[in-house]
Amino acid sequence: MQRMLRQPLTRALALSSPSRAAPLAARRYAEVVPQPDKVEVFIDDKPVYVPPGTTVLQAAAQVGVEIPRFCYHERLAVAGNCRMCLVEVEKSPKPVAACAMPVMKGMRVKTNSDLTRKAREGVMEFLLVNHPLDCPICDQGGECDLQDQSMAFGSDKSRFTDIHFSGKRAVEDKDVGPLIKTIMTRCIHCTRCIRFASEVAGVDDLGTTGRGTDMQVGTYVEKMFLSELSGNIIDLCPVGALTSKPYSFVARPWETRRIDSVDVLDPLGSNIVVTTRTNEVLRILPRTNEEINEEWLSDKSRFACDGLKRQRLVTPLMTDSRGNLTPVEWEDAIVAAARALRDCPPDKLLAVAGDMADAESLVALKDLVNRLGSELVCTEQYFPLEGSGIDLRSTYLLNTGIANVEEADFVLLIGTNVRFEAPLLNTRIRKAFMHKETDVALIGPQVDLTYDYMHVGDSASIVKDLASGTSSHEVVRKLEQAKRPVVILGADQLKTSEGAALLAYTQELALRLQDKLQDKEWKVLNVLQRTASQVAALDIGYKPGVGAHLSNAKVVYLLGADSGVVTRDSLPKDAVVIYQGHHGDVGASIADVVLPGAAYTEKRATYVNAEGRAQQTLPAVTAPGKAREDWKIISVQKPMSGKLDVQLKSLEDYFMTDAISRASPTMAKCVQAVLKQKQATY
Amino acid sequence: MSLGKYLALDKIANFFTVIKQNGGIRGSLYKMYRQDDLKDGVLVGQDEFGNKYYENPRFFFGRNRWVEYSDNFNMDYDGSQVTAEWFGWLHYKTDLPPHEDPSRPKYKWMVPFTENMSGTTGQYTPYSTTRPKIEPWVPPRKSSV
Amino acid sequence: MIAARNFIFNLVKFDRLKSTKCIRRYSQGKCPEEETPPCVPFNPCAPAYPVNFCKPRTKYDVTFVYINDVPPKSGGKDIVDRASQIVFWTELVRGFAVTLGHMFKEPATINYPFEKGPISPRYRGEHALRRYPTGEERCIACKLCEAVCPAQAITIDAEERDDGSRRAIRYDIDLTKCIFCGYCQEACPVDAIVEGPNFEYSTETHEELIYNKEKLLGNGDRWEPEIASSIRDTHLYR
Repeated sequence: MQRMLRQPLTRALALSSPSRAAPLAARRYAEVVPQPDKVEVFIDDKPVYVPPGTTVLQAAAQVGVEIPRFCYHERLAVAGNCRMCLVEVEKSPKPVAACAMPVMKGMRVKTNSDLTRKAREGVMEFLLVNHPLDCPICDQGGECDLQDQSMAFGSDKSRFTDIHFSGKRAVEDKDVGPLIKTIMTRCIHCTRCIRFASEVAGVDDLGTTGRGTDMQVGTYVEKMFLSELSGNIIDLCPVGALTSKPYSFVARPWETRRIDSVDVLDPLGSNIVVTTRTNEVLRILPRTNEEINEEWLSDKSRFACDGLKRQRLVTPLMTDSRGNLTPVEWEDAIVAAARALRDCPPDKLLAVAGDMADAESLVALKDLVNRLGSELVCTEQYFPLEGSGIDLRSTYLLNTGIANVEEADFVLLIGTNVRFEAPLLNTRIRKAFMHKETDVALIGPQVDLTYDYMHVGDSASIVKDLASGTSSHEVVRKLEQAKRPVVILGADQLKTSEGAALLAYTQELALRLQDKLQDKEWKVLNVLQRTASQVAALDIGYKPGVGAHLSNAKVVYLLGADSGVVTRDSLPKDAVVIYQGHHGDVGASIADVVLPGAAYTEKRATYVNAEGRAQQTLPAVTAPGKAREDWKIISVQKPMSGKLDVQLKSLEDYFMTDAISRASPTMAKCVQAVLKQKQATY
Repeated sequence: MSLGKYLALDKIANFFTVIKQNGGIRGSLYKMYRQDDLKDGVLVGQDEFGNKYYENPRFFFGRNRWVEYSDNFNMDYDGSQVTAEWFGWLHYKTDLPPHEDPSRPKYKWMVPFTENMSGTTGQYTPYSTTRPKIEPWVPPRKSSV
Repeated sequence: MIAARNFIFNLVKFDRLKSTKCIRRYSQGKCPEEETPPCVPFNPCAPAYPVNFCKPRTKYDVTFVYINDVPPKSGGKDIVDRASQIVFWTELVRGFAVTLGHMFKEPATINYPFEKGPISPRYRGEHALRRYPTGEERCIACKLCEAVCPAQAITIDAEERDDGSRRAIRYDIDLTKCIFCGYCQEACPVDAIVEGPNFEYSTETHEELIYNKEKLLGNGDRWEPEIASSIRDTHLYR
């Protein structure tokens, strides 16, 4: 099935490939395409030179003329079925669809002629005949392409009288799951969602049935749209046919504030826009970053934001005499925590950082613990410390880079289900698979990655055989022939007792492949971390994994550590657990002191993604209740020691403080005068 | 101009009519005390509170329709005691009194008219109709009591 | 003699202004044929009109008419007239006469709250949220009124109701911010928010003027007969 799809799509995309490559900036490894002769075309009499094969719409975009469109999307195949992009071309008897028409030498396009305008008006009229006038209750209202374009290009009057006869077309809504709300009557059949599903998401669930007035977009049979990228079809839909179910009726685009931020729910650090109103996070949208997430966003990152309003820690808590956590004032909680830290023997003080800890609070916590004499700062995720351990940054990073995975010609996945561990990395691999003849092999459980791959097996010994070159599997030949191979190792595999060996063999394999490469800049070895904080924590010097220190710890400081590595059973009976974080979960329920922190939408914080890229979140809303930014909470617990002292105590100190004043004779006289005065009796 | 009118006899006649209609000397004094005015007119109707609505075109526009508040209100009469039905007629929006206007809707969900309750115990106090934005975490109880 | 006649005349005719002033406007460029003022004053002693009355000097000033009091003259007759008015306290007597006359006149004020002034069917008073005849609330929380409100007095939170329809969970109007421009009822696609005819909603505290959705719906339920008739009266202009 995938193979079937692959050929025609490659061809369809080749049509528009030159300018598709243009916005993707970081293409260091792109093959050097011989520059074909450019052809001159005229857009509204403005000459522009474009490579042959460029469409009229793209040529117009180069001179800043935007042709209206509904079905065309630059990251999807050309469909040409909305007809909104009709433009007049000189010597052509009829208007042509700009999105699908390749330019020809000397072509003269008129994007604002009477014929063009009339064509647009006509198309718009046809679209509106079957589009309901329910903008007041439509969630797309205010950010709707159809609304905007009907204002800009539509007719100013209506000829619609059918309402008295057959009425408007109405289509039954489909139930495609808890994330996407469908109001299919509003659909204008642009098929963007269908193309996204089959091209990018790799889930061929959506399609059309019927034709003409009876055409419907749907899932053929009633089923959920099973994709981890399904939220993107909401953004793609130019009308309100597909809207976000959790966000339904919540807010209008004109009343919201949009704050740029970074996602922390997966290790890729997708760039996001946090939409807020009245100090409430309403929804999260992707922000275009060609290096990371293009313009997509995975469903968890997009829809989990309502979790920021539930189960929050809004006030400091401390266990009372009965062992119940009760709300207290900040002062009491901080004093209790600081006292516990102070009284703890240094070798029994342990700090554990969780999944979503930011770099600033990681540094602050490490400072605090180090100052108290302990070196026991660690993360929840384990990483083998054998060999070079975490001394070299490249041992735990996604070295190839997310965008460059597209350029790979062979991808070997070891023990990772990229589709769910890093959905947007998977779309990159899928893009390479679809458009670049990249082959993929997987060692690990056979999972659906939305594309065909060679399943090598699920035994760790295969990696050993590959590394030593003793394997006779087909994948060896492929790996060795590849010009740009990529090996991606899932960090989850390193937790096991075999993890160290697996990492060593993978490194060996990557090294062997690396040595054979002609392109010396190409990186082969990749480790895909599972959490957003892990890379930053390892960079800062945290030890991966809690290890054996837990059993004799006296004070454990949990910085958002909720994954259940630290439990009451693994601690001594009298251990004090200080939990700092934003949600009441595993960590808070075992804590003696709970310090409410801020979630990633509530603080300015730095996160380092799996490829080692440091990015900053911006505060979109204030932290709820008494919660505070994490680094501030940690820094107020720093123990104070010694007395304060000032350098300039008397007047003679004041006169000579730097090279100039020390060289100044006047200042010297002043000092002498002051000293003399001091000896005087008056 | 008739002689009677020239000699202001009609005014005297009006005076007696007004006194008579307002319930004699005693009634007139009470009404004068309560309303600062004595007028004669045609009773157009009465609303659910017992307020009586009068009309007399002899007075100029603006004074030719008036309300006499129900005796139940005593001296606590107030402009907001005119019911919604009669509001339009009294404010010259329409010439049809509500009982003669067939187009006035009567729906089940309509509620009886209330006067302006400000300053009384029945006054409106604003309250939020939304849910709290943040649901805090409630720690599980480890021990009962 | 003349002064005496004038005195008697003034007693009879209180309103001297009426007789001595005559204001008429002419359309531009047009002037009456005769030089005499077009409206002959009743008072034969009234001063003559300014010479230039309605005599166009330029083609622009023809519509101007001199309407101010004529400055006192200093002729013998005029001096005697004025002296006699002062001696006989004619102004005082005239003033009392005006007062006495008004005691028998019909008062020009209306006796609120018994009599009330006329208001228009388009009057913009207290806000109300309306319902459909079935009792279903009209407001769909489209937030157009919130967007159009120039004083930002409206706050709306929308929510999906259990039956899947779009409804407001919060509809607050701060009447102390509201400027009663009526844009909200103009913007409303379903005639839900209206400014009803009521203006007798004064309160003793500020907070009572911060209306929430229940209060507004209650207003609608009480005022519906009047609101409906206002809307019917103004349907031609909508």
